[in-house]
Amino acid sequence: MRDRHKRQGNEHPPQEAKAMVLGYLEERFGLSPDEFKGFGLYMASKGRVYLGPERAIGSPRIVCVGVTIARLSGAVKPSTNLIQLFGRQMSRNMVALENKEALSYAKGEDLLLPAERLGHVTPGYVALTYLGIPLGCGLLKDGSIRNMLPKAKRLELRFI
Amino acid sequence: MTFIPDAFRQRYGPLVDDEDAFLACLDILLPKSFRVNTIKSDADSVKARFAGYGIGITQMPWYGDAFVSETPDIGATLEHFTGAIYMQELVSMLPPLLLREELKDARFVLDACAAPGSKTTQLAALMGNRGVIVANDASYSRTRALKFNIEKAGAINAIITNQDLRNFPHMQFDAILVDAPCSAEGTIRKNDKLFADWSEKVISGQSRLQKQLITKAFELLAPGGVMIYSTCTFAPEENEAVVDWLLQTYPDAVIEPIPEMEGLKLSHPVEEWNGTTFNAWVRNTRRIWPHHSNTGGFYLARVRK
Repeated sequence: MRDRHKRQGNEHPPQEAKAMVLGYLEERFGLSPDEFKGFGLYMASKGRVYLGPERAIGSPRIVCVGVTIARLSGAVKPSTNLIQLFGRQMSRNMVALENKEALSYAKGEDLLLPAERLGHVTPGYVALTYLGIPLGCGLLKDGSIRNMLPKAKRLELRFI
Repeated sequence: MTFIPDAFRQRYGPLVDDEDAFLACLDILLPKSFRVNTIKSDADSVKARFAGYGIGITQMPWYGDAFVSETPDIGATLEHFTGAIYMQELVSMLPPLLLREELKDARFVLDACAAPGSKTTQLAALMGNRGVIVANDASYSRTRALKFNIEKAGAINAIITNQDLRNFPHMQFDAILVDAPCSAEGTIRKNDKLFADWSEKVISGQSRLQKQLITKAFELLAPGGVMIYSTCTFAPEENEAVVDWLLQTYPDAVIEPIPEMEGLKLSHPVEEWNGTTFNAWVRNTRRIWPHHSNTGGFYLARVRK
């Protein structure tokens, strides 16, 4: 299944892939493509999509450009960076966490929230916030929120 | 008690105003400091959040985004998690800060020895994430930490390159930061293993490399552009002698004065060392001794082409 998705992801020519990412972010999170004005989107290996300066350089040896904002593997998977950077400009599919939930999220744990707090979101990726501060990405599936925080970013917080 | 080699005392004792205070200070752990990442937050919001936590922080009069914390626990705050703050030593905030005016209009900036990225992310914040920063490091493995920190801080305008600066292709940058690899004597307060590898041979090896880096960086600077050369070491061979070398190679390089900083004592550089008197322009560079403002040790030169 995963391989099939990978192949599909690679089939997109860059322009189409960029349009796919921008279209998804607007539809899913209400994030206007205008927010990226003055920056450029770059495609890298493993379907990674970077947001970087509008004009990149050709040499010397480039490791990467800007920050990873999404990954394309058939569908679009938004990154934690994207949500931390642009979460304040998002308007849909956002879930406000309470204190203990935010602590669990930062630790890397999945979240089980009461259904009435998820009435306004649809299954798929969601932007998680705490006191209006964007924290990162989760995947809402079967009534629970799977933690999408990369391992290297997980922390046991004591002051939130 | 950190063991301090006799050769170290003999070298630097005569250079400081108060040898006892200098040596005693090297044994005291550095206070935890951080910088507010203005890409993601601002100083007032961070102050309010920390007040809520009951963590005492002190804002530096010389830089409103720089804070010292009374506890080392800042790594367990939400602000550290979200990248709203960046843990960074105070003196390490100086090289980007000295470019603050130039960065407002700079389109193309080089951070020549960028990993692990504290200065790159600060440059990005000072540029409002616009223009381009080429964040270069000669070591590929060190670019991983650089990437992690750039991502966490949200420095969209950074491009990471992996190239020995000495072989860097010809380009023209508006501003350049050369925070050179050095013998790091000024970091002794956070690295008690420092003297295990310390020797005068290491110093002369670093000095040779630094002379190559500063002249190459000057060649990459656009006419009218500004470069900051800095190290976190005390050795004159790696500081004043390197700037002196640049002036010997490029006599038209202008060493500009470094402005005073409120609450941070900047000291005059060494004027002669081992029988060599440095070019008079070197007097415009500055040293920071750890015992003056309770920081690490540092050296700064501001060069205009």
